Amino acid sequence: MKRITSVLAAATVVVALALSSTAGAQTTANPLTIYAAASLTGVFGAYDPAQHYSFAGSNVLETQIKNGAPADIFASAAPLNAERLYAAGLVDKPVTFTANRLALIVPKSNPADITSVYDLKTKKVKLVIANPAVPVGGYTRTVLKKMALTSALANVVSQESDVKAVTAKVALGQADAGFVYVTDARAVSDQVTVIPIPAWAQPRVRYEIAVVSKSGNKAAAQAWIKGLLSTKGQAALKNAGFLPLPKASS
Amino acid sequence: MNRRRLILSAAGAGLAVSGFAGTTRGLAALTATDDELAYANFGLATEFLLKDFYAQAAAAKLVGGPAARNLARGGFNAAEHAAALGTLLTGAGQTAAVEEDFTFAWPAGTFAKAQPAAAAGLTITQALLGTYLSAAGSISIASYRTLFASMSANLAQQVGALSELAGGRAVGVSFPAAVDVQTASDAVASYLG
Repeated sequence: MKRITSVLAAATVVVALALSSTAGAQTTANPLTIYAAASLTGVFGAYDPAQHYSFAGSNVLETQIKNGAPADIFASAAPLNAERLYAAGLVDKPVTFTANRLALIVPKSNPADITSVYDLKTKKVKLVIANPAVPVGGYTRTVLKKMALTSALANVVSQESDVKAVTAKVALGQADAGFVYVTDARAVSDQVTVIPIPAWAQPRVRYEIAVVSKSGNKAAAQAWIKGLLSTKGQAALKNAGFLPLPKASS
Repeated sequence: MNRRRLILSAAGAGLAVSGFAGTTRGLAALTATDDELAYANFGLATEFLLKDFYAQAAAAKLVGGPAARNLARGGFNAAEHAAALGTLLTGAGQTAAVEEDFTFAWPAGTFAKAQPAAAAGLTITQALLGTYLSAAGSISIASYRTLFASMSANLAQQVGALSELAGGRAVGVSFPAAVDVQTASDAVASYLG
């Protein structure tokens, strides 16, 4: 009897494992490898946790794909990175899937007493930004130029490799201020205060996504992108603070 | 009219038609400072806002006759100003904003009656006028100054028309105040974002 019970228990475990495996087969048996901009970390992970993600600066991911990294999808925080790969025949034609805005963040303690972006011109501020090769770094310099605040670059104490690093430094109080996407600011809203940047000074932040040409799972990759462009995908992005598909995405 | 007069007349007409488009194209070779381009960047976005204001006001059919014609003309002026500023920025090597880059926010009731609509329009036109006066008084490049002075003159007319629509005087203060970009930006932030 004891042996029968053990066999039944073992069989139950096997069946349970089999069922579990079957239930997840469509999403986890052959997950996509998605290379995505660091600013998409929260939203992509929540939208579809079943896929494999590699998050970093879009420029870093672009280089990795050029070097043959085994990605199925590339999602970039700037059109340039995706378009360069497309021109090289390394990804299919990219499409714009969302947009974003920049903000200045300061630690809750606000040691430099910053209340406006214009304070960067008049106050001695330890500023942290991303390096110019990463999209948010380029966008930051566009904002500073548009607002005639490039003198603030003299106060930069650190240039980071992606927006997450900028956000972390400010949230931890290692800098007085930093330029990040509003979506990243939102993720640490308990640690930072957001100083808005006027609409007229905003850069045109557009995200593009494309199937990697060498993907061994192109049909699934195309379906995933279609899902992201669908009402459900766009709602996930909107809930995370991203902007709707832009009316003009030149 | 002899041949020489005819040629001169045609050349003058050409300049008049091309307006500031030709002037701003000529700026490409000049070096503009960030401060000078900030006037243009703010002006471009706010002219788009003003164009939308006039379109909304016209669609609401708040007024008729000469006042309606003033609204239509104001929208045309805003579009021309935006085109000139866009050309200026492109010539200076910047990416000029386009109207689709913005989502304007009009508080509920703005276009329900002529008075609140005119008040909103006044806020925008006065901010632009003040900024353009600053630009005309401080910019180092002569052709820039001419452009901003010319747009100031037009904005002053728009301020007069909207002031009258709001129940005030068509001809206002003797010396409208020049304002910096930051002050003007704060003034229109609720509409422009």
